[in-house]
Amino acid sequence: MASERQIAANRRNARKSTGPRSAAGKKRAGCNAYRHGLSVSMSSNAAFAKELDRLVREIAGDTKDAIALERARAVAEAELELARVRRAKVALIERASAFGELDPPRPARVAVSQALRVLNSIVRNPNAPIEGGVTFPEPIDASATMPLQEPDRSAEAVRRMLPELRKLDRYEHRAAMRRDQAVRALMVGTDR
Amino acid sequence: MRRRNELALLPKSPLLITESADEFDAVRDAFEREIKPRGIIERMYVHDICSIVWEILRLRRCKAVIINSAFLRALEDLLVQLRPPGQQDFHAGDGARKLAHAWFTDKEAQKRVLETLGRFNLEESAIEAEAIRRSSSDLESVDRMLTSLESRRDKALACVTEYRASLAHQLRESADRLIDGKDVLRLERASSKRSTAA
Repeated sequence: MASERQIAANRRNARKSTGPRSAAGKKRAGCNAYRHGLSVSMSSNAAFAKELDRLVREIAGDTKDAIALERARAVAEAELELARVRRAKVALIERASAFGELDPPRPARVAVSQALRVLNSIVRNPNAPIEGGVTFPEPIDASATMPLQEPDRSAEAVRRMLPELRKLDRYEHRAAMRRDQAVRALMVGTDR
Repeated sequence: MRRRNELALLPKSPLLITESADEFDAVRDAFEREIKPRGIIERMYVHDICSIVWEILRLRRCKAVIINSAFLRALEDLLVQLRPPGQQDFHAGDGARKLAHAWFTDKEAQKRVLETLGRFNLEESAIEAEAIRRSSSDLESVDRMLTSLESRRDKALACVTEYRASLAHQLRESADRLIDGKDVLRLERASSKRSTAA
């Protein structure tokens, strides 16, 4: 049990946690749910709904009990959710294996600083010829840095995706917990 | 037939292009032989356990490759560190790079590396230690994922046991209800009915 002083300190600290303040921070936080898209409900997708209905029917059997059907639906939804996260994990590794990274190739930092130098000289003196000409290096191709042989290539893809995979792992863990709770609820329901 | 129907209903476990579906099936068959699942819920858990075990195997392979692929840079760094006195970084780096590349295939290079290590009372295990040190952050992430997967595998196994115990309890209760129920014709009553009819 927290003391009065601890509660007051918690409240003071909580007032400081008001989320991102800068415009860039707010924009980034606003896109959190879009990062992997797994928090979006799939039940509106027709193919998913059909798959879900078949699984619910198999779990619930012949029952017409609305509560039992609802509990079977919760189990089936969590199971399909788990499968979705696993597919996402594999797709990420495959993508990294093919392209070396998730984002499209970016110009090297050198190219960005060179572009800034050119822009500055244009702003200062628009009519003057650009010193040293304008040549930008090719964007870095991440796939070129991937091992050519298997299983090294897949392992390197997993290594590069580790931060993303760990996020998905936490999501998968929660889906598994939801499924286990739903199975327990189903058992209690049939026990009535 | 029933098993095939239930398996068709469960979502397919996704595999990497380079992974073998036959090997995955072999793992699943082994678990099914061991656990002998009955009904869709138990099959669901066995399916889950197989997917988890498959991912554990994938990560373990990855861990070994992470260490192996750090060997070259690890050896280069070690050779630079153990350079003869007076040799400049620039020259040592170039020589170390060449020697480290050759170490993987050339017996003579392996001998030279062993000699260099031996001068400082080190063995080949020093190369592995440096490779592990260099990739420690990645290895830590993989280890965390492995721990999480192993705990989920154990939990899924416990869930099968819990589900089975709960099902057995329900079946016992249903059987008791049927035996004690009024709607069940008792033997003595049936026999008395027969004698009345006679």
